[in-house]
Amino acid sequence: MGLDYNISNNEQQFVLDALKENTRLDGRKLLDMRNVEIQIFPDEYGHVDVKLGKTEVACKISASIEQPYKDRPFEGLFQINTEISPMCSPFFEVSQGASGGTSSRQTSEEILISRMIEKSVRRSNALDLENLCLVAGSKCWSVRADLHFLNYDGNFIDASCIAVMTALLHFKRPDVEVSGDDIVVFDTKQRDPVPLSILHIPLCVTFNFYNPNGDEENIKGESNGELIVVDTNLIEERLSLGSMTITLNKNQEVCQLLKSGGLNIDASLIMNCCTYAAKIVSQLTDQIHRVLKEDEHKRINPTEQKELQTVNSREAS
Amino acid sequence: MSRMEVYSPEGLRMDGRRWNELRQFSCQTNTHPNASDGSSYVRQGNTVVLCLVKGPMDTNRATSTTRASADGPVLNINVSYPPFAGIERKKRSKNERRLSELSIVLERCFLKTIVLKNYARTVIEVNLTILSFDGGLLAACCNSITLALIDAGISLYDYVSAVSVGIYSETALLDLNSLEESDLSFVTVGVVGDSDKLNLIMCEDRLPLDKLERLINLGIQGCHQLRKLMNDTVKEVGVELLSKRQ
Repeated sequence: MGLDYNISNNEQQFVLDALKENTRLDGRKLLDMRNVEIQIFPDEYGHVDVKLGKTEVACKISASIEQPYKDRPFEGLFQINTEISPMCSPFFEVSQGASGGTSSRQTSEEILISRMIEKSVRRSNALDLENLCLVAGSKCWSVRADLHFLNYDGNFIDASCIAVMTALLHFKRPDVEVSGDDIVVFDTKQRDPVPLSILHIPLCVTFNFYNPNGDEENIKGESNGELIVVDTNLIEERLSLGSMTITLNKNQEVCQLLKSGGLNIDASLIMNCCTYAAKIVSQLTDQIHRVLKEDEHKRINPTEQKELQTVNSREAS
Repeated sequence: MSRMEVYSPEGLRMDGRRWNELRQFSCQTNTHPNASDGSSYVRQGNTVVLCLVKGPMDTNRATSTTRASADGPVLNINVSYPPFAGIERKKRSKNERRLSELSIVLERCFLKTIVLKNYARTVIEVNLTILSFDGGLLAACCNSITLALIDAGISLYDYVSAVSVGIYSETALLDLNSLEESDLSFVTVGVVGDSDKLNLIMCEDRLPLDKLERLINLGIQGCHQLRKLMNDTVKEVGVELLSKRQ
């Protein structure tokens, strides 16, 4: 953290008291998500902006032809680039290792966020890498997702996961023709570009935990009175005593699950969280599909479509 | 060599264990009395982890530039994974993302278990060395830190014990070795004391949601077994120390 975010005692007390009464500063209930706004930029493929309340993340996908790794000649490359700049919030510092590699200045939160997205999307094989191979061992597509964090109001992980997945689903790479070792890349005007093959859509849901009865009660006591909150904003995130991020897809598969430290939560409560997360994920997946469909409709050029039509409308004589 | 079966129809695993059996677990505390304030050596099957704890000390003495916090100690955890630890001899860069994530996860894990108010404005430095790796890395690290902290006399609310659990079609398998880990999806579960409350849960593979509950339940059982084993060792050491003093 570049700066410490200090919250006055009064404000802390107010937020926590509100949580105990099952309400939050922005009027949500504990288990309500903020409204997710997904905006797809009309000029390009794979450029998406996601707003989760005031949190804003943009993702841009790009692809180029490169040489695959020696030990994986049949797979393409996929890289997710997450660098959190001070632009989104002064709590994040400029990381020094801009020239490549991880810098030691990266804060633990930054490392966790980038690892979480990496594990959710890349490790769970959301993008079919074998489909990106052109010539085994020498040429393949290298897909790169650049995440830009534009504004920070809590819950970066969920927002960025939605952004990456929507952008990947939306992205289309130029069509290519391979003959022997020669590759012809066609311009988007010559041939329709090809979408990537996405195997499943992993989405993250983050839960934060609060304790109304004090720390020692949590370890020694028998009661499970911990409060569980979904999609926290900045103040709530700062005040929380632990969090858990679960990544699921619509087929009810866990892709990634991490709860490190924080309050100790009963196993049954964790299972409840997971089933609740599955519900949220299926809603979000539907929303993503809806947005993509709308965008596809917008992109259809009416005159071109008319020219392509084989049947001409005949005027009744 | 015949094809290895992860779990045979007779109910035996590659190394001859049943589904709910831990690997051989042995631990020692105070292995490096001169080099550190607390140390431990934990062996879970062929995974061997050495842990040295220095502290609590004041922030000036600590090597790294950390700011002191008024509500509790600053916990610095370094994990070193020497080239000889794995099956393949391979050099790993010091700030490999996986290792730095591991140390952050461990740090967060223990911050809530240490009695914070006793250690305001101090630094506790934990150095982990993985001597040999055969699966269950996070679990073994967790257990060894617990023992080393106890040896250093740092007050904890209770033991943190962790174990990995994998799923093979319908059966949950306890405490995986690295062969099993590479074949199955697995979850690492960490429990504080003998409660059913989870401190740590980490899953990196794809796994059906409805099987998660079974895994967690088996994991909690495993953690309780481990806690008992660690507790026995600590008590033995304690009795020995007392007898020397008299």
